[in-house]
Amino acid sequence: MPASAVSNRPEDVTERLGASVAARDGETLLKALREVKNQIIGNKTKKLLYIHLGAVPKIVAVISAAASGNGGYGEASVVVQAAAAIGSFACGVEDGVHAVLAAGAVPHLIQILSYSNGKVVNAGARTLRIIFQSKLAPKYDVLQVKNMKFLLSLLNSHNENLNELAARIIAHSCDKYEEQKVLCDAGVLKRLVELLDAASNQRDAYIDSVVAVVKNNSEVTEYFLSIGNGRAWSSLIEIMHDRNPQTRYLACVCLVAIGKASCWNSKELQTKTKLMLVLVELLEEPSQAGDEASFALSDLLADKEELHKQAISINVVEKLCKFLESSLPARRLEGILLVLAEICSKLETGRYLLLSLQVLNHIAEALKHECAEVRIAACLCIRNISRSIKNLSAGCMSNETVLVPLVRLLHDPSTYVQDAALGAVCNLAVDFTFKKPALMKYGGVSQLIQLSKSMDSTIRLKSLWALRNLTFVADRIGKEFIASELTVFALASLICDPEFLIQEQAMALICNLIHGCADFIKLVFAEECLIMNAVTRQLKSDSATQVCVQGMLLLCNVAAGDQSHKEAVLSCIIPSEANGTAVSFILRFMRNKDHFLRTASVWCILNLTIRDGANSPSRVRRLQNAGIVSQIKSMVNDPWLDCKFRVRTVLEQCSIVDSTST
Amino acid sequence: MPVRVEECSAPSQLSGNDAFSGHVLPPYTLLSVGRAFTGTQNVSSLQKDEAWRVNVRIQGCDLDQGYLCGTMEALNVPLADTPVVTFWEGEIIDAKNYTFYTGKWEATPDDDIKHWCKFPSFAPLLSQVETDGGKSLDLSNYPFIFMRWKEQYFVNVGIDCGLTIAGFYYVCFSCSDGSINGFYYDPNSSPFQKLELKSANEGHNGFTFSSYQLQ
Repeated sequence: MPASAVSNRPEDVTERLGASVAARDGETLLKALREVKNQIIGNKTKKLLYIHLGAVPKIVAVISAAASGNGGYGEASVVVQAAAAIGSFACGVEDGVHAVLAAGAVPHLIQILSYSNGKVVNAGARTLRIIFQSKLAPKYDVLQVKNMKFLLSLLNSHNENLNELAARIIAHSCDKYEEQKVLCDAGVLKRLVELLDAASNQRDAYIDSVVAVVKNNSEVTEYFLSIGNGRAWSSLIEIMHDRNPQTRYLACVCLVAIGKASCWNSKELQTKTKLMLVLVELLEEPSQAGDEASFALSDLLADKEELHKQAISINVVEKLCKFLESSLPARRLEGILLVLAEICSKLETGRYLLLSLQVLNHIAEALKHECAEVRIAACLCIRNISRSIKNLSAGCMSNETVLVPLVRLLHDPSTYVQDAALGAVCNLAVDFTFKKPALMKYGGVSQLIQLSKSMDSTIRLKSLWALRNLTFVADRIGKEFIASELTVFALASLICDPEFLIQEQAMALICNLIHGCADFIKLVFAEECLIMNAVTRQLKSDSATQVCVQGMLLLCNVAAGDQSHKEAVLSCIIPSEANGTAVSFILRFMRNKDHFLRTASVWCILNLTIRDGANSPSRVRRLQNAGIVSQIKSMVNDPWLDCKFRVRTVLEQCSIVDSTST
Repeated sequence: MPVRVEECSAPSQLSGNDAFSGHVLPPYTLLSVGRAFTGTQNVSSLQKDEAWRVNVRIQGCDLDQGYLCGTMEALNVPLADTPVVTFWEGEIIDAKNYTFYTGKWEATPDDDIKHWCKFPSFAPLLSQVETDGGKSLDLSNYPFIFMRWKEQYFVNVGIDCGLTIAGFYYVCFSCSDGSINGFYYDPNSSPFQKLELKSANEGHNGFTFSSYQLQ
């Protein structure tokens, strides 16, 4: 008689799972587990369906029963299948990891590692390894003595699967100084070096683990380098040429981390050059190693001018630019742009080279990329290329191709993108080619003014910074547009912003408006002296030194105006009689230890004592009566040369006025 | 400032200066970014006396790197329809980044000494410069700043404008009054063409300052 076929619909299989667990029917359970495992391997839809049907907690219950020694369900093969199925759920699908973690699988899996059956142990280790490769996995607290003991037992085991699991757990869980130190003291690094030496398939995990333990920790790194008289370092150098791209990539990452933590010395230039070459070569790989290599390269080059030079000399820029000519995955494009940005961050030669390779259009194109990280990287690249006054003066960057997408990014929904775009705009705003209206033409100035009112203080600062740069030696039309759009009210409020960096930028912007356009001084006195009063208030209060320097330069610019302007500045720096004994802030500034503040203050007095008409003797007398001239006399040998020369000019001007008025 | 082409000019050399960020107030305020200078360059030859009006503006300054740059505008150049603007880059002689010996631009140590000696303020330094190129001098508190300015390109005219920027200037800046004196050197041009500039206040009744900062 024909028997009815067993249904393999997920709903039925899940039901059988539950029923066989309840009935302690080991054979049916084994079949059901196998069926689940086979159905979900590489099939995300099925995984999600089984998760939805509640299969994961049922399978975890099988492990839990086995781990607790509660009789289990018979053969070890059931536990092996259950562990494998859990591993499959956690592999490559975040929802799967969530489900496995929510069902409490990790502690049970850890328990079955102490089974005597090797197959069970290996299955448990493989599944845990998969779980700990996910960012969602919980951190394993290595500071707890029992946890450390357990980790060491795994690491010192003769079972490679357990060794690899320990390495994965360390790589996933160790990111604090104390954790690195404890692991190092417990002999973890020594053991990892031994494991590295024995070529095995687990090598990638060991390298990853070393990176986690040494990263940014010079003490631990020094120890690592001393193991076996530098054997570890030599091993990694060898592994850097492994035939597996992922292993090569990881060895490079590890060497970069070690080099950074141990402060590379110049003798290691050869190694660093090799590293650069290997990483650039890895960019040819279509795999993940190829996507990530540029990030390691960018990390290696970060802030290292000497390495930037070396990168240029071994044609890294040319090689990277070749990639830009083809269509690249977002991650790879982002990484390459970051490396180019780094190489242009300090050296004019790097900027010149990049521009000469005519890739500016590709970089500008990346400003329009759908991926925000790519847009940010392109902004950084343009910002760094435009750190060159020579390029800015030649107008290399002020064209439609760059400015239009960049201005569009000022409206980007992501604050991070806006922030990066503002960095580039800040530099491009320093344009000496009389093309400043270009930014205005594409709507950039209006948007900068809008952003200067942002609630986000970084955006407010950077947009104001860009406007300040835009007004540097700008033409009258540009200045008038900015002044009228920004308004006196907004400027006064920015001078009083809670952030002192913003106060400074606002004052610098007004200085720039006045410089070269004397009639802009009236702006300071508009709306019942709103700006003048705001500046005076900041100078009288305990503002940051750099705000005071900028404030004094602003008063100095105002004091370069006509008689009435000089009079207004004089009234501002000399306390009124109503204030009685209040000491003028300028006297405090001239006694300050900051030589820039002293110099800026003396410049202001220098402009007030210029002999320019009938009022100058009276101004000098008032300065004398307020004790300012005698303060200046005491500065005749100021240690700051620039200040000393201005003091002497002031005293000359005062004596001329004195001699002509008596 | 460009001079007339007399013979084939040497190719312009590119310098590799680093990023700088335009400090709000540098150690020498009269040499800060945005400051302007006006004056003349004497371009007289044996045939006739001639001087061109010159305007200079400082655009970038990075004392750590011994770097300065800006534009130079020559106003009454006979062969040009408009004022001719060039972009120049400067090397500040600080005994750290640059010494008194040029070592390029066709200038021999002898040419260097001959030109530096034209500045009275150089006299106290001469013997030390002859000994070690001035490497052991501490110029940080010296009231004069010595520089070389090399024009890099024409800003508003083409290279076929009949002018050359092949040479360079030996320059001396006075920290006390902000005046600048210089001598143009180009083996193919009239020797010792004198540049004289004074700090300009651009319509103000006093000194004003402007600034930018790069990110």
